[in-house]
Amino acid sequence: MQKKWLGLSLSLMLAAGIAGCGGNGNNSGNSGAANGEAGGSTASPSAEAGGNTAKSGPVQLKYWTDDRHDQEYIKELINKFNETNSDNIQVELTVMSENYTQSVDIAFSSNQAPDVLRLKSANTSEFVKKGYLAPVDSYLTDDMKTKFSSLMLDNVNRFDGKLYSLPNTGLTMRLVYNKDIFAKAGIQNPPVSLQEMVDDAKKITEAGKTEGIYGFALNFKNPKQAFDRSIREILSLSGYQGLGFDLKTGQFDFAPYSQVIEYFKQMYKDGSVLPGAETLDIDPLRAQFAAGKIGMYLSFSTEPGVYKDQFPTEINWAGALAPTLDGQIKGTSEIVSAGTWLGISAKSAHQEAAWKFMQYMYGDEVLKTYHEKGFGIAVVPSIVEQAKNPDIKGMEGFLVGEHDSLWPATPSVTPEGSTYADAFFKYILTGGDAKAITEDLNTRYNAALSKAVEKGEVKVTPDPAFDPAKPQGE
Amino acid sequence: MSFKWKRLGENSLFLIPSIILTVALGIYPLFWMLRYMFYDYAGYGDALFVGLDNFRRLMRDGLFWESVGNTFIFAGGKLLLTLPLSLLLAVMLNGRLRGGNLLRGIYFMPTVISTAVISVVFYNIFNSYNGMVNTVLMKLHLVSQPVDWLGPKHAMLTVILVAVWGAVGNYMLLFLAGLQSIPQDLYESAAIDGANAGRRFWNITLPMLAPVAQMVIMLAIIASLKGYESIMVITEGGPIGKTEVMYLYLYKLLFPVSTGSPVAQQLGYGSAVGFASAVIVGAITGLYFFLSRKMNKVY
Repeated sequence: MQKKWLGLSLSLMLAAGIAGCGGNGNNSGNSGAANGEAGGSTASPSAEAGGNTAKSGPVQLKYWTDDRHDQEYIKELINKFNETNSDNIQVELTVMSENYTQSVDIAFSSNQAPDVLRLKSANTSEFVKKGYLAPVDSYLTDDMKTKFSSLMLDNVNRFDGKLYSLPNTGLTMRLVYNKDIFAKAGIQNPPVSLQEMVDDAKKITEAGKTEGIYGFALNFKNPKQAFDRSIREILSLSGYQGLGFDLKTGQFDFAPYSQVIEYFKQMYKDGSVLPGAETLDIDPLRAQFAAGKIGMYLSFSTEPGVYKDQFPTEINWAGALAPTLDGQIKGTSEIVSAGTWLGISAKSAHQEAAWKFMQYMYGDEVLKTYHEKGFGIAVVPSIVEQAKNPDIKGMEGFLVGEHDSLWPATPSVTPEGSTYADAFFKYILTGGDAKAITEDLNTRYNAALSKAVEKGEVKVTPDPAFDPAKPQGE
Repeated sequence: MSFKWKRLGENSLFLIPSIILTVALGIYPLFWMLRYMFYDYAGYGDALFVGLDNFRRLMRDGLFWESVGNTFIFAGGKLLLTLPLSLLLAVMLNGRLRGGNLLRGIYFMPTVISTAVISVVFYNIFNSYNGMVNTVLMKLHLVSQPVDWLGPKHAMLTVILVAVWGAVGNYMLLFLAGLQSIPQDLYESAAIDGANAGRRFWNITLPMLAPVAQMVIMLAIIASLKGYESIMVITEGGPIGKTEVMYLYLYKLLFPVSTGSPVAQQLGYGSAVGFASAVIVGAITGLYFFLSRKMNKVY
């Protein structure tokens, strides 16, 4: 019997040993993976190792981003930094493909957080609330304070008086249109009012339907994505906040939104929208536009880069200011995703080293080249002054002009029931009582807003004097 | 007696790893969810105890109940097409068919391919502006205009067809295993008695297959009620919620997709929805088991 137990114990020890070996093998495999999530999963051990060996070896920093369009340039910058910095800091880049926010959540909850993170307007407030970010106020030099002073915005990069990130670029939004198709339909210029947009879409469809050409399209597979790249811009240029929030009253009011929706509904009714747009994703839409099948759509300043690299096209296209409700420009076009770029992890053991890397990335030369290569449109005034325009076809229509500006942040709330985008898209497809839908949205969004304010998650300060032509009050 | 106990002790040691994994990854999350369905919790910060508020919200949440309705349509459609088709294929392949093994492999292949991959392929096949289905239909002059296969009218039918394509091979294999356990003597005796193929199928195959069929149908019901992966890729639950099924709705609450503005996770309410969804699946499975209890005794 003793022999049996001895055998059993030996077997268990062997099994544990094999499992242990397997685990090590896996880990070494992961740490060898470059620029993938597996690489990210080993962030903490090496960061800690960096901390432990700081006296003898280099400080190892992990930088995570979900930007893919600029990764070659960022790699170059990091290589240069690793070779030239005199503080013995080594940065390792990890480019996430999908689910960036979830990966960051998992990394922080398992103590494997990166030292430097790419921040965007969509995730910064969440990251601050979750305690992921370290304030950078104490590191800022006087020069940097001057350089970025006009762009330090509450609830964008500054929360409760503390600064967590600095801006680099932003995205402008424009009407993207096919000049050849417009000419073929006898239209001289891009529409300046929504009624003109509806009429133009109808003319284009009538002229091109037999060849499969339609006047308008959007990526309605995700209605919120579609509306946030179109109606948002139409409204801000028309003098209203583009996500349904009234900055003057500090309450949600979807009445202006519902006015724009009526024109979109009309285009559906007219049959001017590309068939199948209800389940169209943005890339298939771009592929169809590149193939000359769509007259116009609304989107971000990422489009010139997309048509240069992702969907190279011979069509004659351009970007123009979005149309407004009545053809009059009463506000400014909102530059979105501006105000944030890099942030430092609150859990990093090397925050000073992380700041040195961040300081390098925010240098004039880096920001200038970033703009000139067309990775984003510079919003930092001193960079805008010295940078040359990017040499990318179509980009001239997206450059920041007199009608572009940054708007105050919209409070983030999660209402019960359907979102404004889903509710209005349903109205476009199936009809209903627009007034009742608008009132229902106002009720549910303001209830969610009150709840968020009560919980201390959101602060709202009504600004009765808000001027949409000068959103920053300058 | 003492020998048996010792033996039991030795054997139990081998169960420890799987017990630890089951508790850590299966049972602990369940209790975690059962706790948070009484809280307002976004995954960070303090969880606020709200009692039964999440369930009150659930009762008035039209989107959830619409998704339950869609789930029944999706599961019903999928089962009605998948089960007879897989049984038919299994019966055909159970005979001495030339190349039978190859055909089994071909029919089973969709089960092995990643759902995400096949869903992307089917999105391209069914899209209305340049999809293959419409191109073929128009070239054959069967339709004059592209059919909006992924539009509000036909999207549910399309996702059901994709789900059937992915599931038939799996159930065919299970039916095939059941068919091969039926003794050949019965068929030979019936043939001697003059029973034709149809009669042999109704009077021998179906009754003998009943216990296996009961289990296969139960698995199919559960899988159909819980299925959402291909729908997520093909339509994301749209257009206008026409293909939003229960578990896709749940997924979106727990893992919201950020699209330019922050969207909070609703772990508390999501837990309540998850619990309700599990109760619905459990109740239907239980009801099926009750109604089909005689199948287990038929042979």
